[in-house]
Order: sequence, then C-alpha cells, then structure tokens
Amino acid sequence: MKKFLRHETILAVLAIAVLCVLAYQSDRFFTVDNLLNQGRLMTEVGLVAILMTFVIATGGIDLSVGSIIGLTAILTGVFWQSVGLPLPLAALAAIACGTLGGFANGIIITRFGVPPLIATLATLALYRGLAEGISQARSVRGYPEWFYVLGQGNVLGVPTQLWLLILTAIAAAIVLGLTRWGRTVYAIGNNEVAARFSGLPVDRAKVAIYTMSGFAAAVAGVILVSRVSTTRSDMGTGLELDAITAVVLGGTSIFGGRGTIAGTVLGLIIIQALKNGLSLAGVKGDGTIVLIGVVLVATLLISNIVHRNGNR
Amino acid sequence: MAVADHPTPRSERSVLHRLYSAYGQEIVIVLALVVLFFVVGLINPRFLSPSNLNTIFSGNAYIAVAAIGMAMIIITGHIDVSVGALIGVLATISGTLAVAGYPVWVAWTVPVLVGMGVNALIGVMVAYARIPSIVVTLGMLSILRGGLISVTGGAWISGLPPEFLIAQAKPFGVPAPIYFMVILTLAAAFWMRYSEFGRSLYAIGGNAEAARASGIPIERRTVMVFMIHGAFAGLATLLFATQLQIIQSTVPPNLELTVITAAVIGGVSILGGTGTVVGSTLAAILFAAIGSALIFTNVSAYWLRAVIGVLILVTVLADMIRRRRQGRA
Amino acid sequence: MPATTEPPSTAKPFVRLTGASKSFNGITVLKGVDFDVRPGEVHALLGENGAGKSTLIKIISGLYAPDGGTIEVRGETVSFSSTRDASRRGIATVYQELLLFPELTVAENIFLGNYPKTGWGGIDWDTVRARSRELLDSLDSAEMDIDAKVASLSVAQRQRVEIAKALSRNAKVLIMDEPTASLAEADVQRLMDVVRALRARGVAIIYVSHRMPEIFALSDRVTVLRDGALIGTREIGEVTEASLVAMMVGRSIDQLFPKPEPIIGDVLLEVENLRCGKLVRGLTFSVRRGEILGIAGLVGSGRTETALTLFGITPAEAGTIRIDGKTVTIRSPKEARDLGIAYVPEDRGSQGLVKAMSIRQNVSMATIDKLSNGLFIRFADEAARALEAVKRFGIRARGGIEQPVGQLSGGNQQKVVIAKWLETVPRILILDEPTRGVDVGAKSEIHAIMGELARTGVAIIMISSELPEVLGMSDRVLVMNNGQLVTILDREDANAESVGAAMTVSKTRKDAA
Repeated sequence: MKKFLRHETILAVLAIAVLCVLAYQSDRFFTVDNLLNQGRLMTEVGLVAILMTFVIATGGIDLSVGSIIGLTAILTGVFWQSVGLPLPLAALAAIACGTLGGFANGIIITRFGVPPLIATLATLALYRGLAEGISQARSVRGYPEWFYVLGQGNVLGVPTQLWLLILTAIAAAIVLGLTRWGRTVYAIGNNEVAARFSGLPVDRAKVAIYTMSGFAAAVAGVILVSRVSTTRSDMGTGLELDAITAVVLGGTSIFGGRGTIAGTVLGLIIIQALKNGLSLAGVKGDGTIVLIGVVLVATLLISNIVHRNGNR
Repeated sequence: MAVADHPTPRSERSVLHRLYSAYGQEIVIVLALVVLFFVVGLINPRFLSPSNLNTIFSGNAYIAVAAIGMAMIIITGHIDVSVGALIGVLATISGTLAVAGYPVWVAWTVPVLVGMGVNALIGVMVAYARIPSIVVTLGMLSILRGGLISVTGGAWISGLPPEFLIAQAKPFGVPAPIYFMVILTLAAAFWMRYSEFGRSLYAIGGNAEAARASGIPIERRTVMVFMIHGAFAGLATLLFATQLQIIQSTVPPNLELTVITAAVIGGVSILGGTGTVVGSTLAAILFAAIGSALIFTNVSAYWLRAVIGVLILVTVLADMIRRRRQGRA
Repeated sequence: MPATTEPPSTAKPFVRLTGASKSFNGITVLKGVDFDVRPGEVHALLGENGAGKSTLIKIISGLYAPDGGTIEVRGETVSFSSTRDASRRGIATVYQELLLFPELTVAENIFLGNYPKTGWGGIDWDTVRARSRELLDSLDSAEMDIDAKVASLSVAQRQRVEIAKALSRNAKVLIMDEPTASLAEADVQRLMDVVRALRARGVAIIYVSHRMPEIFALSDRVTVLRDGALIGTREIGEVTEASLVAMMVGRSIDQLFPKPEPIIGDVLLEVENLRCGKLVRGLTFSVRRGEILGIAGLVGSGRTETALTLFGITPAEAGTIRIDGKTVTIRSPKEARDLGIAYVPEDRGSQGLVKAMSIRQNVSMATIDKLSNGLFIRFADEAARALEAVKRFGIRARGGIEQPVGQLSGGNQQKVVIAKWLETVPRILILDEPTRGVDVGAKSEIHAIMGELARTGVAIIMISSELPEVLGMSDRVLVMNNGQLVTILDREDANAESVGAAMTVSKTRKDAA
C-alpha cells in the first residue's frame, strides 16, 4: 500500500544524503582508501548486526555478543600461547567456544523460558567475567605475520574481512528473504503461538539463531584480534549496542516480525559514515556516540508515530 | 448463613513462615553474607578489619542507592541500562558546579534534579510513545556516555572544596554513605510497602491489564517511577562523586549491569511485579563483599564478574522454575 | 452481616436496563433488550455463543456504553464511562479471565486499589489482613491463607478471592460470567453454597452459565437471549430444561445444517486410554474415514485438551494412538502433520493466524518446507496455491492474496486457517469451534466444506459448543465431562436432551458412589 514509504527507502535516501553532505564537507571522505578503510572498521559490528537482525526479527535480543567477542579473543590467545595449539586450530577452537556460548543462550531462552533480554544480560556478565578471569588482565601479542591478513590485509584490493561481511550479508539476505527459515523467523516474531500451531519448528529455529549469533560474534572476535594485533579481555565491550542500533535503525521492529538485511546494512553504513564524517570534521570520537543515540531514539519515535497513524 | 458445613480448620501460618514466604530472598542473602564473613574472616582475619568493612559498606553504598531506584523500575516491568552513564554525567555536573564556586547545596541538588529530568524524558517515551524501555535507555546510554566524554574530553575534575566531599564525612564515627544507604533503603522500603503509589507499581508490573481495570493511571505512574529512579541516581552520584578528591569522567565499566544485577539478585523478579528494595541493597553489599573476599582469599579479583554472572543466571533460572511450579499448582 | 430478606419477587430492581442496544462495525449484537435484577435474587442469563450475553454483561459492568436504551441503578438513570463508575454504584464482576495479581498476596489482591488507611495515610495492613480473613471466612474459605501468593491458588480459590474483592467494595450486584466453567465438581458445589449465602445477604446476582442443573438449583429467574434479542424472562418455576433449550435454539436444526449423505469407510484413527494432564483422563474412541465425529462437552471438559494432545502440542503422557492400525507417537505439531493430522484451533487470532502476514504466507505456513526446493521457496507455486485456495473457499479479500489476514472478516480468516491445513492434504482433520465468531453465510460455507471433505474420505473431529452444530453435522457425537468420555451417541440417538444430559452428568459423583 505504502510501498514507497517503506523504511528501507527512507533509509537509502537518508544514507545518500549523509554521504553527499560528508563528501561535500571533507575531500578526504569520498576517497577509495577511506571508504575501504571504513568498511574494514565496520566488519565486526556488521557481522554481529546481520545475525542480530534474525534475533530481533523473532522478537528476541542478544546482549551477550560483545562479551562473546571478548571471550573468543582471549581464548584464541590462550589456546595458542598457553595451551600451545597451532594458531588456526586455536582460532577455530575459540570460535567453537563462542558458538557454544550462543547455543547456551538459546537453550536458556527456549528450555527455561527466560526472557531473552534477561538471559543474555546474565550471559553478558558471565562471558565477560570468564574472559577477564581467564586472561587475568594479560594481553597476548606477537601473532605470526600471516594472521594479520584477516584483519589488516587485502584481497583483490579490498580488505579481507569486508569480503566476509559482504558474503555474509548476501547469504543472510537470501535466507531471510527467500527461504522457509526466513519465513519461520517472521512467523515467530509476529505470532509465536500460531507459528507453533502451524507445525513450524519454533524452538529449534530460536536455538539455531542464537547459536548463529554467537558464531558471528566469535568470528568477529578473531577478526578483531587480527585487526588490532592483540587480545584484551575488554574487547567488544558495548559492541552489542552498536549492533542493535544498526538493526533497529535499519527498520527491524524491536517487537519482532519485521525487518530486512538490506535495512540493517543501510543502518550500518549510515552509522559508520556518521562516525567517520564527524571525526573528519573534527568532532572527537566519542561525540559521534551521542549522535547515534539520538538517531536511534528519533528513528523509533518517528516510525512509531507513522506506524500508529497508518494503523488507524 | 448456610456456610458452616465445611468444618475445615483455619490454617493461619506462623509469623516466621510468613516472614520467610514474603522475604525469602532477603533472608537467603543475609545468610549468605553471614557465612561469607564468617568463612573469609577465618581464612584471613584482616577481611574483618574496620578499614576493609568500611570499603565494603561505604565504598559501595552508591551502588545500593542506585539499585533502589532500579528495583522500582524492574518491579514496574521496565529496565534502565543507562543509569551508569547517567551517574557519570551527573558526577561531572556536580563536580563542575562545586569547583566553579557554587554553594555546596547547589552542587548537591542539581544532579538530583537533572537525574529526574533525564528520566522523566525516558519515562515519557516509554509510557506515551510506547517505545520499549530497553531501546530508549540504550539510546540514552549512547547519548550520555558519548556526551560526557566529548564534553569533558576525559579530563578529571580536581580541586573540589572539602565541604563538598559528603561521602568522606563521618558523623559519630560512621561514614556518611552508610547513613544514606540505610536511611534511603528503609524509607523506600517503607514507601513501597505502605503507600498506594508503591503498591500500584507492583500491580502494574504484575498484571498491567488488571492494573488498568483497577483504575491505576499506568502512564503517569510510569513517568513518575522513572523520575524517582532518576532522583536515586542523583543521590547515588553524590556518594560516588565525593568519595575521592577528584572526579573521573568515567564510571566503573558496566555499572548499570551491576546495579541491575543487585536488584535482580535481591529478589526483584525479572518479569516484574515482585521484589523488595531491601533485597537489592543487601545484594549490592553481597557483591562488594564477594569482590573483597576474592582479594582476601588470594583469588584473582578478575573472576568477580564471572561469579556475578553465575549468580544472576542461577537466580533467574530459579525464578523461572519457581514460576513454572506455581503455574502448575 | 444482616440480610435484607424481602421476598425477591416484590423487591424493587437494583439495576434495570431498558431497550439496551449495541452494535459493532455496523453489526447489531444487542437489540433493545430489557433486563433487571433485584436484591437477594439469582438471575440466570442464558443463550448460545454470540447471543449477546457478554455484551449485556459488559454494558452493566460499565465496560461498554450502550448505543441505545437506559440503565437505572436504584431507580436513578445513570451512564457509566468505566468499570470504576459501575463499581462505585455497587456493581462488580467476577470475570472468566480473572483479573488478579499473581505475585501479590490474597489479602492485597482483595484490597488493591481500595486500601484501608491508617491515621497518617499509610496502608493499614493489619486491617487489610483482618478484613480479608473475615471476608474469606464468610465465603466458607477459612482454609485459605491470606498471606499466600495468588499464583499458588487453584482456579476455584482465585474465584473466591475475586468474590471477596467485590464484597470488600460493598458490591450490591455481582455479575458471574460462567463461574463454574473451569471448576471441578466439588468446587462447583462449594461455589453454589457461596452464591446462596450471598443471596441470603441481599446481594443481587447475575449468573451466566450453560450448566442446566446449576441454573435450576440456584436461580430465581432466568432470561434467555438469542441473536442479540430478548426471548423472554421467566420465573424458574415456569420453565423446564427442554423449554429453555427450545428458547435458546429456537429454530429447526435440520434446516440449518444440510448434511450430505456420508460415505463411511474403515477405522482410520484409534485412540486408547489417552492421558495428558488433568483434562484428558483415559479417553478411548475411534474415527472412520468419511465420518464426522462431533465432540460435545462444557467449557473445561477437556475437549480442546484432547485435540491438543492428538496434535502434539501437549504430547500424550500415556495411552496408544493408532492410525490405520499402526501405533504412532506424536510429540510435535510437525509430527502430527506428517502423519496426516491437521488442527484448526479454537482461538483463530492467537493460534490460527499470523495476522500481520499475507493470505499467501498464511496459506503456505504449514507446508512451507514442501514448497521449497532445497534452499528456496517456490514463490510462484506458493502464490498459485494461495490463489487457488482463495477461489476454492471463496475467501473475500480486496487486496488479493497479498492482503494481511488481520484485515479480513472473521469468516474469511477462518477459511484461511482451514485452507492452510487443507494444503497439507490431511487424512484426519480436527476442527475446534470451526464457526465461532463467524457470520451466518460463512458458517454454512464452512459446513459445506466439511461435508465435502468427509465425502472424499477425510476423518473429521469437530469440537463445538454450539449444540445445534454438533447435532446437525456429526455422524456420531462423543460427549466429554471432566476429562473423561461420558458416552458416544449415534446420529439417530443424539438430540438436545440426550447430549445435554450427558454433558452435565456428574461423573465424579458416579465414580465416588
């Protein structure tokens, strides 16, 4: 009915406007180098946000992703340096642990009926606590040179991890938009009971989604280690907020049932462009967080008002 | 009356039983505290030294005070993840005013008022615009945290006038924060128990539809409870900001989480509608004691957060299992 | 408390409705009804589902404002703008879906919103507890603990808390909406004692129930509604069970349910000693191909629970299910579907449909895995099937198959749910209240679909609270009471009297005897 007023359309226009203004403001913004570098910087949040889109579309939330990043990062270092595993194996083992963390979230939520907000708030503390306890505030450095290809290198002139983000986004868009799993996600988010009564595998889908969210965070954790050349237990702190902001800004309803990967990607781009643009314009790094908060609340206010008018 | 044909004996429960059923969680925490103090005191007597007790009780009183407001918010069925950032902002405001030479009472009052104002805004968006509190406060968290750092640039405030440092006062030899903690907890507990307003928060959190049918103005109460929570954040700020001679522009990381956890472990059900503010204060003390105990038993304090994470998880799962059992009965 | 024991017949009405009307979206649900209730009487309100009982109750309790007509309380014309207004005038309702606070104590629930205060303005908990104790004692509930949380109480106990709450506000009129619908037999007796005690105190009681024995045991007068109109108000002495049923139904059943001659085949589904929870307690029955088995029973008799067990929502705890003679286990709706069982649920809005999604997406929901090749949904196929369903069932949608189902009328929504399940090509179709809240036209269309399906060899189990529907559509009628099977009647033997009697038979007493 109001196809033209779709959230994604508005967002795309907004994104273009932001890019234009920024390009006009600073001649350093619209350069290939800068744009590719921004892509590099947004990969970790991006991977998490794409899977977070699934989580939020089912009406859930995953606050523990930032902590899973920290835990995976620490475990990569510990498995490699202290346990003595070869680095690829260490990274894989760490990713497996992070994924297990996501699986645990899914089990707590589906088996015990704990609201996702609370379940993942608890595991946020737990996983970060494990990271801190295991690391004892020691950082691990001195990874072999090849490992930095993942976070600092290029493939065909594009940052390695950006390829991963692009592929993930495409795969996720296909799953959410074109497959029965995507349909199941929307059905759960709109009416979980009816989805169950229609024979859809509700619990299994939810466990799978939280597990995948943990997996994405774990991969982001390894990429982060590779990008910044070190591991610390506080890595990824607060990243869950950036991811949720991107998803919600991208038009996914916090109540579930509505949302697209395209929207999330646009949300990510807008946020990253704003951060970059503002810092180029001389605003200190943390000032941009304010803007993100404002954008998040304002978007929700407007979309709530539009939505309510549309319904009546 | 034709009602005498069921000669069932009246089963009035004992006062003790009644206390346990109403304050079970609080009693459990008190017992946990007693055991903790006893055991750790045996291992390392210095744990019970006055200076350490002072650190545990007085140094963490601000968390307990903030948790009172948080408990009210969660009882009403909401959540606030921005309180840590808010305390940071209010501390800077307060310190700036004190250093700028404003009277001390202004430096003390303004944070409380600003806290109420900020939370009034959150409350309006939650109650009237119907945006979930988690999202509003996430946004507010970004705004406050980013705003604080970009305004202060991470600089510390020093040169605070001595009379401003209320947390360092020791009337009758007891640190002032302990007075604050005890008096505010008791006052809030009393108010939650004996005022119609306080009870209506339980009603809203327990069954919003039934609360509306009982004529409770849900929207107005929601805004009000956020404002009260803001006032407690302001009071917590006073204790936090005046502990040291300087005010850092950062608060302990994940302060909001510690505050939420104190409320939840104190027996405030995550689903709203039940819990007491006495429990949240006790839980705040318990955390501080656990943190200190780790140090005095030579366990690395870096495990503290993991311990707390496990505590939340266990409490929450126990709550869910209890509810499920009740539902079946 | 002293009782005002004027004889009910001469007492002035406490509440009187004159010519009350109400319509929603242009559909009239109440047409000029007169109704009154006097102090110290139990006035029963009867009617089929959709007859207008609940609308009438909601007008008296202040939830709805009538479109036409007047409300008088003690002879004074009033208009209520909320339930608070009605409650101030002494009118209280014990709702079916109880409006209590599970995490608060019994005493607090009774006085919430109406606390006694101490001198300094605080809540006087001693008085709250003392008066709660008194109120519950006076309701024959001395064993109830006023400090227990309501969450730990049984349904019957919660109901008494609601009644105590009403009395704490000095209610003069108590509206009880199917108060015994979900009670066990012993609790029903207790509730009836409580109602009698209240009547003796001079409380006016409006009592909605389907259970005939209760109505005859309790009420002084009875009013029957049908299709939103008043059929009549009678002294209880003037009526019999049969005459009340005739007033309620008021039309010839055969006319309304044109049922094609069935082609009944072999036994398809056999259920033996099926058990699950408190409401499925050892059921044994079977259904044949091409047969429509009606399940009758009061609300809370275990009909829906039986369906949920067969469909795998609440898997069976004991017993055997056989399909085509083979023993099967059903642990999830998906397993049920793969065995050829489909379930059109009772609550269309929350269980049957995803309202925000389109007709196309709802129709394909139960078969979405079959509509996918490997990875992708075959969208063209999906649309074609939805289009076919729209045509086949005459689903009227302005926006075609892309219209969100939430925007359709009740009848069309129900057709979408049925279409969704017929996509699975079921062999056993369970329909739970298939025509509730559906207009007359769509109703007969749905009945026609059922008849047609049965003739293709589908075994149909139909649960319905509408006796005429059960009698009109079923080849056999299974009657349940309190989680157990009372009897199975053949079409020839099933009539309003035989089924009605079986529905209300007191099974527990028989067991005890």
